Amino acid sequence: MFGYYLKLGLKSLRRSPVLTALIVLILAVGIGASMTSLTMLLVLSGDPIPQKSDRLFVPQIDSGPKNASWQAGEEPERQLGWVDVSNLLRDAKGKRQTALYGVGPTIDPMREGLTPFVEQGMATTRDVFPMFDIPFVAGGPWSAEDDARGADVVVIGRALAERVFGDERVVGRTLRLSDRDYRITGVMGDWNPIPRFYRINGSGVDSDVHQVWLPINNAISRKWSNNGWTNCSGDIDPGFAGLLSDGCTWLQYWVELESASDREAFTDYLRAYVAEQQALGRLPRPENNRLRNVREWLDFVGIVNSDTRMATWIAFGFLLVCLVNVVTLMLAKFTARAGEIGVRRALGATRNEILRQSLVEAGVLGAAGAILGLGLAIYGVALIDGRLSSSENFFTMDPWLMSGTVVLGFFCALVAGLLPTWQASRVRPAIQLKSQ
Amino acid sequence: MLSMTQLSKVYQTHMIETHALRGIDIQVREGEFVAVTGPSGSGKTTFLNIAGLLEEFTGGGYTLDGVDVRGLNDDQRSRLRNEKLGFIFQGFNLIPDLNLFDNVDVPLRYRGFKAAERKQRIEEALSKVGLASRMKHYPAELSGGQQQRVAIARALAGSPRLLLADEPTGNLDTQMARGVMELLEQINAEGTTIIMVTHDPELAARAQRNIHIVDGQVVDLQRLATAA
Repeated sequence: MFGYYLKLGLKSLRRSPVLTALIVLILAVGIGASMTSLTMLLVLSGDPIPQKSDRLFVPQIDSGPKNASWQAGEEPERQLGWVDVSNLLRDAKGKRQTALYGVGPTIDPMREGLTPFVEQGMATTRDVFPMFDIPFVAGGPWSAEDDARGADVVVIGRALAERVFGDERVVGRTLRLSDRDYRITGVMGDWNPIPRFYRINGSGVDSDVHQVWLPINNAISRKWSNNGWTNCSGDIDPGFAGLLSDGCTWLQYWVELESASDREAFTDYLRAYVAEQQALGRLPRPENNRLRNVREWLDFVGIVNSDTRMATWIAFGFLLVCLVNVVTLMLAKFTARAGEIGVRRALGATRNEILRQSLVEAGVLGAAGAILGLGLAIYGVALIDGRLSSSENFFTMDPWLMSGTVVLGFFCALVAGLLPTWQASRVRPAIQLKSQ
Repeated sequence: MLSMTQLSKVYQTHMIETHALRGIDIQVREGEFVAVTGPSGSGKTTFLNIAGLLEEFTGGGYTLDGVDVRGLNDDQRSRLRNEKLGFIFQGFNLIPDLNLFDNVDVPLRYRGFKAAERKQRIEEALSKVGLASRMKHYPAELSGGQQQRVAIARALAGSPRLLLADEPTGNLDTQMARGVMELLEQINAEGTTIIMVTHDPELAARAQRNIHIVDGQVVDLQRLATAA
């Protein structure tokens, strides 16, 4: 009988077309809005590096001054100063460790027809590549020696290689960065972590993957300023020297441990480090360290902020309102069919058969609403994605979400159809036939 | 075929009690063509609804083709209705967005017949009422008389033991009514028992037997005539 009910359900779409169109449209708008919000929430709350997110940590050290505005136990700065970064890199207590800050060198393509342009880059250490599983299509990271002496070496992204050289096989060639030649040691492959967990400035979804990666000691020796958050307090020297002093935090630090269980040992190390520095007259505040893995870090920095969560709740609340409207419209639709239902009952249909037929009809409406809703959700996600400055597609609906959208639409229609279909199955044929 | 003994029906609201049928005794034998007559509000339709298992009765007994219907649940009544009864309504009650084939198919679907058997029965039923060539037409494309013929085909397709007709010619002009009546007589001649509710004394006269209901009770017309 399912095939028969399905055929009747499809026929019913043409019956009372205005009512049908309204039901499908309301359902689709509700589904589209809620799935757009849910997609954003899921993408933002996803794990950008699931294979090792429990082994990558961000340490925080409270290096601020002990002034009047200080309160004991307050959250330390998210970034570290150059002194602490240098010390932690030197101690190298993790399996790997790195520090990053943003730079914006001017690239001179040295090619006819191409004018110099500014490219976003990362000043960092060679460990960053294996730590974050950054792939290479050619070459690899610079050497430890290059790191130590801040050599003029660079790893570039595939897009930049294509743009400047028209080719990605450019290892060993020279790239001119802010009037100095850099030797290319590697070309990165496709790497698109969402969110940009390695260095979050802003929403974590509003920048392209950096195309220029060079040794941090090189950037510092060239006094390249930080493209990103810098927090300085107290009396500091003017200029780049001040940035390197104790009063400024501006570097993102990451450490990779052998296993998640090494976390305690590293915490102990940080505690000992702070004590040692305090003995040397630095770090005036009491020890107040933090150590967060990737998931904890993303939660802390509020990648999924309360606005996003609220928007998702509102969208699902809106879906609920839509469903209440759909219930009303379905009641009207099935009430208009009471005569036909009476005839079917007189001709031998049981209440259960009427219930099943009506549920399949509600399901057909749900499927139509879900397909239209899926289209609206895809459009909504694309619209939001298009408003980001990044050229990458951050927000996309994967096949699971798409299937989920259709299932949700179908489920919603069935839920909304429960009362109307139950009422339809309770039609008393004698009364309906008399009123025909 | 149909036996009602001391059957009564009371409609009850919290304010009033309405006695629609007051202990009627009706027996209809297999193969009979019985007309049920009576003034408006006398209880004819209530009788037909109870006979058609569309309504429950309050008291007395009812046996349909040997089955005591008292105590049957809604599903059992639906199955029995589907197997043993055919309905013809005054307003035809065809489903407007189904073509003739699909309209006649409705009771057969609920009977659970296979597709091939359903097709054969539908074609035979529509042939019997002279509409085999219009299977793909929709009710709105037919005249009233033709629509009632389709309703008759739908009632006949499941080979019912008893055909219940409620004012089957009430919405038709004289010529169409005559055609429908002839069709019912032919069906009865082929062995189907028919109970027809009608206001029309001319149609009632063509039935083999009349049952007159007044104020919820069966009255003897001969005795009434003698008393007059």
